[in-house]
Amino acid sequence: MSAVAVDAPVGAGTGARGSSNGALLALARFEARRLLTRVPVVVAFVAYAAWIVWHTPGSWDGHPALQEADRDTQAMPMLVGLAVLVSANFAALRPVRHGTEQHLGVLAMPAWRRTAAHALSVVPAALLTAVCVGGQFTWEALKPGAVGHGSPAELAAGPLVVLAAGTIGVLVASLVRSPVAAPLLVVPLLYLLVLGSGSGGADGVSWLAPVVVQSGGDALPSGLLGRPAAWHALYLAGIALCAAFLALLRAGGRNVAVRTGVALTLALAVAGGVLQARGAQPSPELTAARERAVSDPALRCTERGRSTYCAFPEWAPRVGVWAGVVDRVQALAGGTARERRLVVGQRIGAADLVSDAAVPPRSEPGRVTVGTAWGGNRVPEFSSAVAAVLVTGSEKAGGELCDGRMVTLMWLSLSWQDDPMDALRRVRLDDSVSGSAIVLSPTEPLSMTEGQTDVVRRLLEKPAGGTGERVKAHWDELTEPGVTTARAAELLGVAGPREADSCE
Amino acid sequence: MTPTVSASGLSLHYGRTRALDDVSLRLTPGVTGLLGPNGAGKTTLLRVLATAVPADRGAFTVLGHDPATSRGRQEVRRRLGYLPQTPGFHPDFTAFEFVDYVAILKELAGRGERHREVRRVLDEVGLRDVRGRRIRKLSGGMRQRVALAAALVGDPGFLVLDEPTVGLDPEQRMRFRELIAGAGEGRTVLLSTHQTEDVAMLCHRVVVMARGAVRFDGTPAELTARAGGRVWSSAGRDPGAKAGWRTGGGSFRNVGDPPAGAELAEPTLEDGYLLVLDGDGDTAEVAA
Repeated sequence: MSAVAVDAPVGAGTGARGSSNGALLALARFEARRLLTRVPVVVAFVAYAAWIVWHTPGSWDGHPALQEADRDTQAMPMLVGLAVLVSANFAALRPVRHGTEQHLGVLAMPAWRRTAAHALSVVPAALLTAVCVGGQFTWEALKPGAVGHGSPAELAAGPLVVLAAGTIGVLVASLVRSPVAAPLLVVPLLYLLVLGSGSGGADGVSWLAPVVVQSGGDALPSGLLGRPAAWHALYLAGIALCAAFLALLRAGGRNVAVRTGVALTLALAVAGGVLQARGAQPSPELTAARERAVSDPALRCTERGRSTYCAFPEWAPRVGVWAGVVDRVQALAGGTARERRLVVGQRIGAADLVSDAAVPPRSEPGRVTVGTAWGGNRVPEFSSAVAAVLVTGSEKAGGELCDGRMVTLMWLSLSWQDDPMDALRRVRLDDSVSGSAIVLSPTEPLSMTEGQTDVVRRLLEKPAGGTGERVKAHWDELTEPGVTTARAAELLGVAGPREADSCE
Repeated sequence: MTPTVSASGLSLHYGRTRALDDVSLRLTPGVTGLLGPNGAGKTTLLRVLATAVPADRGAFTVLGHDPATSRGRQEVRRRLGYLPQTPGFHPDFTAFEFVDYVAILKELAGRGERHREVRRVLDEVGLRDVRGRRIRKLSGGMRQRVALAAALVGDPGFLVLDEPTVGLDPEQRMRFRELIAGAGEGRTVLLSTHQTEDVAMLCHRVVVMARGAVRFDGTPAELTARAGGRVWSSAGRDPGAKAGWRTGGGSFRNVGDPPAGAELAEPTLEDGYLLVLDGDGDTAEVAA
């Protein structure tokens, strides 16, 4: 066919035209508005927001390590991602579902640019997810007990998951012209989720999952995490963009820009995937640093009152609250224990984000261990460790305690707290206030007999002042090895057990 | 007058079926009617001119742009309004949203300006009061008007309407006739229809197709004139008539070659159409 040069005829359309790119963005806005008002997407975002409001106030007992809290923002965006995947897929298939292909096919905007608009339409959902992630993390960071540093790459994972899910939905629409495909795709995606939580990120394959869950063990200093989060973010971004460009190619956008985009983003995804797999294995330097952190950690020590407090640098802001506990427990003690110089040192049992190894107790006198977690049950646990050192001399001796000193130890640990009986319940493994039980501490647990439990409960039910005077007055006898529980009860003015102490 | 559409030698085959056979025509501003029996190639011609399918052979331009090239096709599409025979709708869109969606796909500029244009065409087709209603809740006639509004949005220079009044009741058809007449003022409209009345009342030109080829191309008066002296009345059906039917007055109206001394009647456009199609189509399908 050949063009025929003619004058502009009467009747030429005079409607105002915009640029093709302007129309593309207008369509992206139009589709984004519709996407954000789809029922699955609305439900997912409402559930996500509700989860943040419900979960965040009590998370980490108000004392988050931000290098751990950032990962907590990654799971819920998966729900949003699934909703966006299905909804974006349905939107891209709209002309097929409603038979408008013939009509829309002769309009100025070609199919591949319409596909581009669908891919762009998921960006606001990703941005809204970023707002939720930012809100949740900021909430954690503003808590008075927050320590540490979040990672931008970890925080980016949630929004990138939503972006990738949306563009994959659009790509699937261009490959399979049926609205059944996207819901079916949810099954392998759930498998990927399992893949991400299976090995806890210890192997490279698990990092192919959108989100890699690592929730075991102690909170670690940022430098020991060793998560290839930045490569994972690159991997997710590569997948999101590659899916979008492949959808454009499939929809007929076969120009140089699209082909180049496919090649570059595919390279990006592959590079991110390979580098994150390599990064999942800790380097020899990281392994050595982790081992040092367990056996001989590099801590920053400060003097507070008569005691010394040594913490990983990121936990330095928490020294004040530890000192507050030590001061309170020590103020209740008698004899030389009131003036004893303690060295409170932070320790971790393992440094690989997976293991949940116990921290062995110290045998050196006056040494108290504190973990990287704080708040909630960790407070009476630490208080018990301080009391154990004051009563027995060392953590190790406290762990081996099997006589009436346990009564004094537990009273020192709990009587200063706002709700001593609740603290007793929480510090015991079985959450009870009667019978024998394991008492948790930052290192090896202590144990209470039934008789000791009864005496401690009776003491905690009484006003603390009178008992405090008795503790100080009879300190030497109360902390004498071999003192019976019955004698301790008698000295403290409450009924004691009839049976002799018996530890198992 | 410079033609809006200029086509020469358009041919298209679907397998062994010849859908278009060397079609040439020139369309100028105003409404041009396209008549023909089912299978005549009307819809195929409209789809070719609307750039929905390419012709096997031949060439055409729309408003000076050649759709054979990618850029030319884009320019044609920017100036085109197309109402297909069975327009699809997105039922969960409101009327406004659907026309706005089409306006975006026509690359209309700026949100405010585009929304003004969408409101204008919805007002023009009489849907001002229901523009916020979802399409699934609109009647068939209203949906057809939404489709017309979508075709009109952006003030296209060339409007292609494929049987827009099918399925409408007489009142709705009258309303549509009014809309199409308005649309034909200042732009070129190609109207495919089975309704010869529509052509007689709306069109300044008429093209008759049969078996993929153009059988007639002229004014409605010229098509009517084809039946001059070939329509007559008789007491019974004349065996020599190509078509004949009893009228309300009881006499028979015959079209064909009248016998000597026959009582000639005033021909209509439909009579001319029947005679043009003589031997080419199923005349019984032509609406009275």
